[in-house]
Amino acid sequence: MIEKALAVAFQIGLVLLLSPLVTGFNRVLKARAQTRRGPSLLQPYRDLYKLLRKGMVIPDTASWIFTATPFVLFVTTLLASLLIPMVSVAAPLSLFGGVLAVVYLLALGRFFLALAGLDTGSSFGGLGSSREMTISAIAEPALMLAVFTVAIGAGSTNLSIVAQSAQGQSWRFLAPSQMLAFAALFIVLIAETGRIPVDNLSTHLELTMIHEAMILEYSGPYLALIEWAAAIKQLVLMMLLVNVFFPFGLSADWSPGAVLFSLVLFSLKLLLLSIVVAIVEIGNAKMRLFRVPELLAIAFVLGALALVSTFLFQG
Amino acid sequence: MHFWQDSEFGNRMITLMAALVLVLQIVMVTERWIVTNIRAFALQSFLLACIANTIAYYNNAPHIYAAAVFMLLVKAILLPVMFERLVTKIEIRQEIEPLINAPISVIITGLLTLLAYVVAESFHRPDEPLSPASLGHNTLAVAIALFLIGFFMMVNRRKALTQVLALLSLENGIFLAAISLTYGMPMIVEVGIFFDVLVAGMVLAILVYRIRETFDSMDVSRLSRLKG
Repeated sequence: MIEKALAVAFQIGLVLLLSPLVTGFNRVLKARAQTRRGPSLLQPYRDLYKLLRKGMVIPDTASWIFTATPFVLFVTTLLASLLIPMVSVAAPLSLFGGVLAVVYLLALGRFFLALAGLDTGSSFGGLGSSREMTISAIAEPALMLAVFTVAIGAGSTNLSIVAQSAQGQSWRFLAPSQMLAFAALFIVLIAETGRIPVDNLSTHLELTMIHEAMILEYSGPYLALIEWAAAIKQLVLMMLLVNVFFPFGLSADWSPGAVLFSLVLFSLKLLLLSIVVAIVEIGNAKMRLFRVPELLAIAFVLGALALVSTFLFQG
Repeated sequence: MHFWQDSEFGNRMITLMAALVLVLQIVMVTERWIVTNIRAFALQSFLLACIANTIAYYNNAPHIYAAAVFMLLVKAILLPVMFERLVTKIEIRQEIEPLINAPISVIITGLLTLLAYVVAESFHRPDEPLSPASLGHNTLAVAIALFLIGFFMMVNRRKALTQVLALLSLENGIFLAAISLTYGMPMIVEVGIFFDVLVAGMVLAILVYRIRETFDSMDVSRLSRLKG
């Protein structure tokens, strides 16, 4: 029992601490590629600290949804992160639910965020919400298809069991269904975390913003919570990618040596994925909004193909 | 023994490349630009040459190496270069205008893939042990899918050049079926087929050029009006 609680606490701490670092690392990489010096690696931590100490302004038109959203978003995202194996094969809350719970916890957070965007009655917020929903309506089926492909291979939607069964098979990640599902999930990662071909988090240009438009009215600690939740969501999706498709190195128990080893390996995998994401961001221009569904349709087709090919190449 | 000598690894690689071939076929169905289409076809042919090469390596079969080299030369290099030249020569850079729009085409493509799977399943022997000789037997479904989707593309397109591309990708499906099921055909048949494809490609390219000269368009539906 104590061990279980420790595992939960350990992963919560790790997720909370690591997620701003991933965001910071991404910014540094992009800045360097554009030959700028860029912000410090620790800038996201400083931003969060600064925001948490500030006062905040709440619009007169806002209802309880506006105040509830940051908490709902933060808690659902954090909960989702506990369902995914991070350093040990057994995710701390894996008994609570599998990958479907992850998808729908994220969807719940997104639902509240979209409501909060509408809640203040500002036209930007409403526009941001409608765009976010348009994109996620196509991104979610793609995510589900990719995830089902993996689940069929393991015979369970529980991510711990998926990771466990994946560890046993050699050359598994070369299977076409895995590759296609990975590609689909990668596009979903780009879209859901608001990376460049889809959205640009570092701009407040009114014509293009999606995520930023929804949280335009937030300030102070609430904004800090939302920013932090966005960073955690990014980490959750990245964890899903690296630990479900490449689960080698995940420790089987909680002995310090094994945990340290798998932590190092996990950081390396995360580093690699961040570099790939940064390369995609640097190499592409932002898409027109009406082209975004086409990109996500590609993810959907890839996901569907992945699912079909588990049956196509049996044996 | 190195890991690449393990036929399990070979099987994985062949399956992976076959899946990419299928993805490229779907890219060709949805892609709107002719030049991108030609490049997708070249890449598809290159992957097929790689599959043939892998099968040849695990079976020590020199004549499959020859087939792979032919594939690479004729369909991955010669024909694509020729078609790209043709595209610049007759100054059509515009988009392919399919009869059925992209989303519905993708759905039809998916259904055709399923049909291919159903057909191929009756040839499937799951208890067959993995040996070098049985490498690539599980790609039969992909081969049939390539064949069916190639047919669909031919029907779906108006311009003569894009129909030629569809015909060639259909031929790729036949190649994959031959190479994966039977070690490929006898050498002389293989050479004959490639020569055939090359000549057909050239003749069709010239024909496309003549159609374009005569009718000011590559739209084959205009060919029905034969009166001058």
